[in-house]
Amino acid sequence: MRVQLKLKFNLLVFFAIFGIFSVSAQEQVSEENAYKKRVLENTEIDFLTSYYSQDGENAAVSGGKGTEELTDFTPTIVVSIPLNADDVLTIDAGVSAYTSTSSSNVDPFDGSGPADPFTASSGASQSDTWANLNATYSHSSNDRNKIWTANFSVASEYDYFSLGFGGSFTKLWNDKNTELTVNGNVFLDTWNPIYPYELRPFGEHGKRLGDALFSRYHITGNAGYNPVFSEFTDKGRNSYSLGFNFSQILTERMQASIALDLVQQSGLLSTPFQRVYFRDIENSFIEDFQLADAIEQLPDNRLKVAAGGRLNYYLNEIFVLRGYYRFYNDDWGIQSHTASLEIPIKLGTKFTLYPSYRYYMQTAADYFAGYEMHTSSEEYYTSDYDLSRFSANQYSFGVNYTDIFTQFHLWSLHMKSIDLRYLYYKRNSGLKSNLISAGINFIVE
Amino acid sequence: MIKKIICGIGVVSLFSCSAVKEYEKVYINDPDMVLGTKKLDRFQTNFHSYREAASGANGGKTGGGCGCN
Repeated sequence: MRVQLKLKFNLLVFFAIFGIFSVSAQEQVSEENAYKKRVLENTEIDFLTSYYSQDGENAAVSGGKGTEELTDFTPTIVVSIPLNADDVLTIDAGVSAYTSTSSSNVDPFDGSGPADPFTASSGASQSDTWANLNATYSHSSNDRNKIWTANFSVASEYDYFSLGFGGSFTKLWNDKNTELTVNGNVFLDTWNPIYPYELRPFGEHGKRLGDALFSRYHITGNAGYNPVFSEFTDKGRNSYSLGFNFSQILTERMQASIALDLVQQSGLLSTPFQRVYFRDIENSFIEDFQLADAIEQLPDNRLKVAAGGRLNYYLNEIFVLRGYYRFYNDDWGIQSHTASLEIPIKLGTKFTLYPSYRYYMQTAADYFAGYEMHTSSEEYYTSDYDLSRFSANQYSFGVNYTDIFTQFHLWSLHMKSIDLRYLYYKRNSGLKSNLISAGINFIVE
Repeated sequence: MIKKIICGIGVVSLFSCSAVKEYEKVYINDPDMVLGTKKLDRFQTNFHSYREAASGANGGKTGGGCGCN
């Protein structure tokens, strides 16, 4: 009897203690739920779009000589969904539709007029569509001092497919004054190589000069056209990146960050449809178009290192200063410096103007030379002016309208902000481009 | 390069002896003080990655996803 009573007493004590702990734990959890601010309060949707145009006279498709005219239209939608107080899923989907005079000259012999590197051809390569889908999942710790993300991406265009995945970890400390992020990404890409039209008969099963192209058109200049050409066997391109970002609040009005990115690329790093002309080989032509002596050949490895810094200063209620600098170096011999300054100007509580200036310069890749400057004895060669030595100035102007009360709405979409931006970019080598972009941010309620 | 980065982090850390409290972050929390890039920046970062050899350390992609180098 005494043993039974003791057992009952022990059970009672056990359940009492368990009960107290349970209630305490529940209170703690509900307290956390009650006071924990959600990482993202509502679903947000961004509709973004851009229109890009450029022109120049150093097209890589025609060996560094020819029009670089190109236009590109890119509508994109970004949806951020709060899954709970700590987790956010972001879906980013977009397409990019471009038309390009230079890439139309992958096949300049369309029969509509004399083939010419400065004239567009009506071939299939004059336009293409690039589609992209990117999903990012982020999780924040209860105290919001740790953030984990994982991302997955797919991108596809006619001659290129990309699969990517990665993740990051962010740690904040020192009253959230100091932040360190480490991120890693892997891209596993595959080319579907498209070669210049006149080189295709010299591929694996081609008929060389017996091809119909050369009976349809008469070769002038060197009639014994014999290019240096073989199809690429390795069609993959892998990129591995590791990045570090350290940011620090310096004063009540100033904060800065330093970033370091290391990127290793391997595989097919050449662009298969970019022609090269050798100065030691006699020129061959069809109509006004010079036939390729070869296609670009670049090493199958590249190591890139980029280090950059940002410094933002809140000058007063009207002006903010946003400075940026980056140094870049790779093992192809390219070094570059980028510097920019943006000065947001606040006009009242709703409008902000964004004038900015950016300067960029780079040295040439070891394998770059211009039109007819390479010799056929070289192992690597390219006449892509994107890998040449140049400097560029960029001027841009933007305007933002923000309504924190989201008064304007379409059904359950409440508009939070509108952004518009125009930029003008000019290289000292002659390329000029314009970019107009716009974005509308909605909150779903 | 690594030495310069370590020096940079050291210089930045020197400024941060006393932490700015949450209630003192009115200016720091201004949307224009964000250290990262903005959503519209993706378009210019994208065309820079095509037209310039350098990439990375700017919040944009560092490779993959397009035929650009």
